[in-house]
Amino acid sequence: MTSWYPIFLKEMLHFRRKLLRMGYIFSAMIAPIIYLVTFGLGLGKTVRLAEGGDYLTFLLPGLVAMSSMNNSYSWVASALNLSRLYFKTFQVYIQSPIKPSSIMIGEVLAGMVKGLFASSLIIAVGFTVPSGFSINLIFLITLLLNCFMFASLGVITGMITKSHEDTATYSNFFIMPMAFFSGTFFSLDRIPLIFKPLIYIMPLTHTNIVIRKTHFDLEAVISLGVIIFYCLLFFILGSRLIKGYNE
Amino acid sequence: MQGNVIDYILRKMITIIGISKTYGKVKALDSLTLEIKQGEIFGLLGPNGAGKTTTVKILTTLTKPDSGKCFIDGKDVIGQPQDIKKIIGVVPQENNLERELTVYENLLIYGMLHNVSEIKRKIDLILKTMELTEKRETVVNKLSGGLQRRVLLARALLSEPKVLFLDEPSIGLDPHIRRELWQLIRKIKIEGRTVLLTTHYIEEAEALCDRVGILSHGSLIALGSPSELKKQIGEYVVEFIDKDGSLISEICHSREEAYEIAKRRNDGVTIRRSNLEDVFVKLTGERIIQTRINQ
Repeated sequence: MTSWYPIFLKEMLHFRRKLLRMGYIFSAMIAPIIYLVTFGLGLGKTVRLAEGGDYLTFLLPGLVAMSSMNNSYSWVASALNLSRLYFKTFQVYIQSPIKPSSIMIGEVLAGMVKGLFASSLIIAVGFTVPSGFSINLIFLITLLLNCFMFASLGVITGMITKSHEDTATYSNFFIMPMAFFSGTFFSLDRIPLIFKPLIYIMPLTHTNIVIRKTHFDLEAVISLGVIIFYCLLFFILGSRLIKGYNE
Repeated sequence: MQGNVIDYILRKMITIIGISKTYGKVKALDSLTLEIKQGEIFGLLGPNGAGKTTTVKILTTLTKPDSGKCFIDGKDVIGQPQDIKKIIGVVPQENNLERELTVYENLLIYGMLHNVSEIKRKIDLILKTMELTEKRETVVNKLSGGLQRRVLLARALLSEPKVLFLDEPSIGLDPHIRRELWQLIRKIKIEGRTVLLTTHYIEEAEALCDRVGILSHGSLIALGSPSELKKQIGEYVVEFIDKDGSLISEICHSREEAYEIAKRRNDGVTIRRSNLEDVFVKLTGERIIQTRINQ
């Protein structure tokens, strides 16, 4: 059996218990549904897209990307932070004869499952509202990579934060702006030229570009390359932080 | 044959050579040197902040020392942490069980992390040994403090470690539950494992340990069996209340000497056997428990 499996199993046992409390499912869905209703069904009727098509069809993939980011990231960051600083359960991993990369893989896979679960709820809602929303192979690959990337970033945050409050601070400074300015709610063409370099540094921007594609073009390939680069960068940094753990 | 037995008895399981550790401006360990033999229960005794937990954290690979070396079963703790993790079990001071998972799930995950073979059979066995079979499917959060400690001990023993670290194993437990835990720790000794136990409970150190090291401000100030240490300072203590209402303790080397001192006092005099608290007071001028309360 692979050494990451017990870490993944532990997270899944916790996740199963949370799922049994129905409140979790609603809390995972509430923010994207509010956005869907407010921006999609409400304001969306007045929005005209430069590339044509209806706004809801544009918005839904963005909401899936945002939801997968939020859930993959915040679950891992928060759980790791709590287990490291408060419950001290992270010590059990460090004192076990497994490689730091195994801890990283277990945590990231667990984060991905949580991100995919939340995304699947949005996808289910997406198919129930009248729109041209559909999913294809590019959509699924991008979604998986997005979950991997933000779960890895969650490990980094979980390892460097000095208190649980810090997790919220990081989220407010990095995750929330990314959710709003990375092309989730409006086309990147609308962003003033001066802010574009900053927007294109954000990993979610590239997810939003690729997840809406129906075929691979140059823009999709470049953005996919950026996503893979961030995946590797965050994964390596996370593994190194676990390896260098010292109380 | 006899030579082999002597070798076995004298074999050092843990060797600590001059380790120091500083947290900010606080020196947690100051050039600590210590050897622990195979199969013994060794107690590190001292008040909170003496450096006991830091020592355990260094030996269990959670913390790196600023300087010094330590070895467990001949393996370098700093250079070969993966090898060390295969042979140690840890019961930490703070309960680090997965509180929302059941006893069985906690043991299963730990066993998988330590690559324990025949895991289900061994979990059943350890649950039976620790008298936890009935609590197998109980969520940890719903167990009493004493039972949670027992689960921690069961978890640490599941991988059949050569060396077991017990960091303040009975902290916060009722006296009768503490005694039940001591019985379990004695069982571990019978199995031949080496145990490093930290405690600030004098009674616990005296009841369980073959040898004791007394730590104060990160330094080892006394080392020996409880009886040796008590003999060194004097085996009897005369206690009385002075005019100011303060408790005065005088340590004596013989019963006769203690009676002589007692005779000179009119009433309210108690003669008792000395304990490790008296050793600590004699060596440092502080009290283990009082220091803890003050902190």
